[in-house]
Amino acid sequence: MTIDRSLAPEFKIPEHIDFPKPIQRTLRNGVHLYFIPTPEIGAVKLELVADAPGILGRKEKKLVPYFTLNMLMEGTRGKTSANLDEFFDTFATEVEVISTFEHQGLSLLTTLKHFRKVLPLFRELLTEAIFPEKELAKRKSQKALSLNIMREKTGNRASQLFRKGLFGDEHAFGQIPEEEDVNSIERADLIDFYQSQLWCNPEIFLTGNLSDIELDLIEELLGDLPVHQAIEVPHIFNNKTNHRLIEDRDTALQSSIRLGCHLIPKSDPDYFGLWAFNVFLGGYFGSRLIKNIREDKGHTYGIYSSIGSLKTADYWVVMADVIKENRDDVIEEIYKEIYKLQHEPIPLAELETVRNYLVGNLLSNFSSSFELISRFKSVHQAGLNLDFYKQQLDFIKSFQAEGIQGIGQKYLSPEYMVEVIVG
Amino acid sequence: MINYHQFILANGLQVLVHEDHSTKMAVLNLLYKVGSRNEIPGKTGLAHYFEHLMFGSSKNVPVFDTALERVGGSCNAFTNTDITNYYISLPAVNIETAFWLESDRMLELNLSRKTIETQRKVVIEEFKQRYLNQPYGDVFHHIRSLAFDTHPYQWPTIGKEIEDIVNYTKQDVEEFYFTHYRPDNAVMVVAGDITFEQIKVLADKWFGNIPSGEIPKKSIPKELPQTGKKTLTLEADVPTDALYKVYHMPGKLQEGYLESDLITDIIGFGRSSLLEQRLVKNGHIFASVGAYILGTVDPGLMVFSGKMEKGQSAENAESVLDELIAEFLQSQVEENILTKVKNQAEAMKTYESVQLLNRAMSLAYYAHLGDPNLYQTEYEKKTRIPSEQIMDWASTILKKENASVLYYKSASKLN
Repeated sequence: MTIDRSLAPEFKIPEHIDFPKPIQRTLRNGVHLYFIPTPEIGAVKLELVADAPGILGRKEKKLVPYFTLNMLMEGTRGKTSANLDEFFDTFATEVEVISTFEHQGLSLLTTLKHFRKVLPLFRELLTEAIFPEKELAKRKSQKALSLNIMREKTGNRASQLFRKGLFGDEHAFGQIPEEEDVNSIERADLIDFYQSQLWCNPEIFLTGNLSDIELDLIEELLGDLPVHQAIEVPHIFNNKTNHRLIEDRDTALQSSIRLGCHLIPKSDPDYFGLWAFNVFLGGYFGSRLIKNIREDKGHTYGIYSSIGSLKTADYWVVMADVIKENRDDVIEEIYKEIYKLQHEPIPLAELETVRNYLVGNLLSNFSSSFELISRFKSVHQAGLNLDFYKQQLDFIKSFQAEGIQGIGQKYLSPEYMVEVIVG
Repeated sequence: MINYHQFILANGLQVLVHEDHSTKMAVLNLLYKVGSRNEIPGKTGLAHYFEHLMFGSSKNVPVFDTALERVGGSCNAFTNTDITNYYISLPAVNIETAFWLESDRMLELNLSRKTIETQRKVVIEEFKQRYLNQPYGDVFHHIRSLAFDTHPYQWPTIGKEIEDIVNYTKQDVEEFYFTHYRPDNAVMVVAGDITFEQIKVLADKWFGNIPSGEIPKKSIPKELPQTGKKTLTLEADVPTDALYKVYHMPGKLQEGYLESDLITDIIGFGRSSLLEQRLVKNGHIFASVGAYILGTVDPGLMVFSGKMEKGQSAENAESVLDELIAEFLQSQVEENILTKVKNQAEAMKTYESVQLLNRAMSLAYYAHLGDPNLYQTEYEKKTRIPSEQIMDWASTILKKENASVLYYKSASKLN
């Protein structure tokens, strides 16, 4: 059979995507549970997610939430640290700490087969942890070492300095933990935080092939978790002007660049436009930054821009590790690309590529049932619901170049960028 | 179990089809049986570098990524010591585009000067970013070159040194392509919301007329058994000492491989493992520790590694590790430990198989080893191995003369 390879095969862009809603229950302590059933999958994932405190009393105690969460597996009233490790490993269960800017908690990944056995012990971690001194001392020395290793990494250091520049070091999001912060942690701090602050406005996100029997068990075991209801104080941040920071390192082989600013909330009418602008610029492999800095100039292994999610307003960051001698060129090129995308006509072929790529990407994000709960969680935590994705799909299908360019001009101004170079 | 059907085209391309109609997506995973084990000294890193060239253009496709993004797809690839694996994920209705793209770059890749030179720079930056500009980042460069004398596993997939990447010629690249990127050296898995009949037609249409390879692969030098312990001491600007102790072990399909896997599961997997409990939680020398196997097709390495607490030396760490291993060799594997390891192997399969892409990759990987059913049978075999057999292999492998040790010492002012 001879074929004409010069003709690309016909293709279709999916018209419709299902955005399944979770089943909701409310436990007797008021905690909401969101569940998406996955009949064909033997794995079960339960996440208990609470609000993280934004401003922590004393600055030197900034690692209290970290140590509290990481010490939950180090012994409870009923079980020693070794007992807990043995139990969870025997049932091939992974208990992990959840820690993001705005949320903290614990996740449980197990199999349906073992779920009912491991849930009671998972529950014990939430209120019965005893924070033994010996295990705390080990955790502290491990953390001090990992902070030292992280500090050596230019990429990591640049991200820290960027956050500090963006959020300020009065706020938890901008604080950089140091070895002396580890030293200032005492057992009493953790116990106090555990009892009075940890489970603040928690919610449960659940997925797996679970029946009412398991859901009832969750209601029974987690329904008596004492929770703190707190009214959120919104974090308001403002863009700074001309904030530039360089940390030179003679021994570094590359320079790590971080550049970005505050954006708008997901509920803002301009949000999707800004989101799309970011995709064109640096949000996918075919983006302008990749094409210019990597595929044309070869200055880096990777350069991406992305939007970070926060409740009150998202933020934007460009990240790249580049050839040291080219670091200033790269920054200049980033600004050039922003300007070009804002002001020069976008070719039709590029518009079509991005539009179709984004539909495919959205379909892909909703194609694995086990991940649907995470999709729900991310919009829910921003105070929205699944309509967000419907609107996003409608936007992808219909947006016009001029619209997103205008929005790009409005929010991405060079003078508001925090610029960091390490290395 | 992962359901599949397979067929082989006349040119030798092996095709497996895994139908899953619970999704609207499809995956095309194309594995080439080439990795850094097929490289020669002076040209190390070529397999990985070549993977970058595959994302340039081919005769009828000016830019690979753009052509795929235009139909809603995305792609990536990885290279390791044994294989180079490409994967495309896209709406299942557009699966034919994946066939067009993959067949075009197998048939007629454009090896333009611009692509060759730009990707050379990109890969050099990757080398720096991932291996040189990271604390402890070059550990495996040293440990591999210490442990292996003749086998190409003596360098990591990124390459032995940047100099090699600088020196590849156009001829090296072309010869590599025509030797390894041929249908009879590949396994294709198509998975998702597609049908066997549909894939049969498409495979024949797009791949059927690609010629088989004509250049024979070079034979890979075998590593002779090690006869004495080897050591290397290095100083680097890192916050604390690190210890890497490795032992030669059998290759993927050889006797003793699964036992080696079990040995490291028992000693080093999870928080309840012997290493973690004894050396980290109840010891003052190690800050972290681990044990694992490299899982290579040819005979590879069993690795014990750890970072030391501040002020503790890698040499001291080795002696407490040796004590623990000696004690392990005198012991029996108890029933509860075997149950734990078995539960973990079972759960790991459950977790891995959640993703369509993982299922496609697993099928391709085991098909490349010779039989896709090995995915299931290896697991069953592993969970039936009796304790004595594990301990016999432990005594064979964990011998002083079979060990290579890297003392990666902190020269930092912090210490």
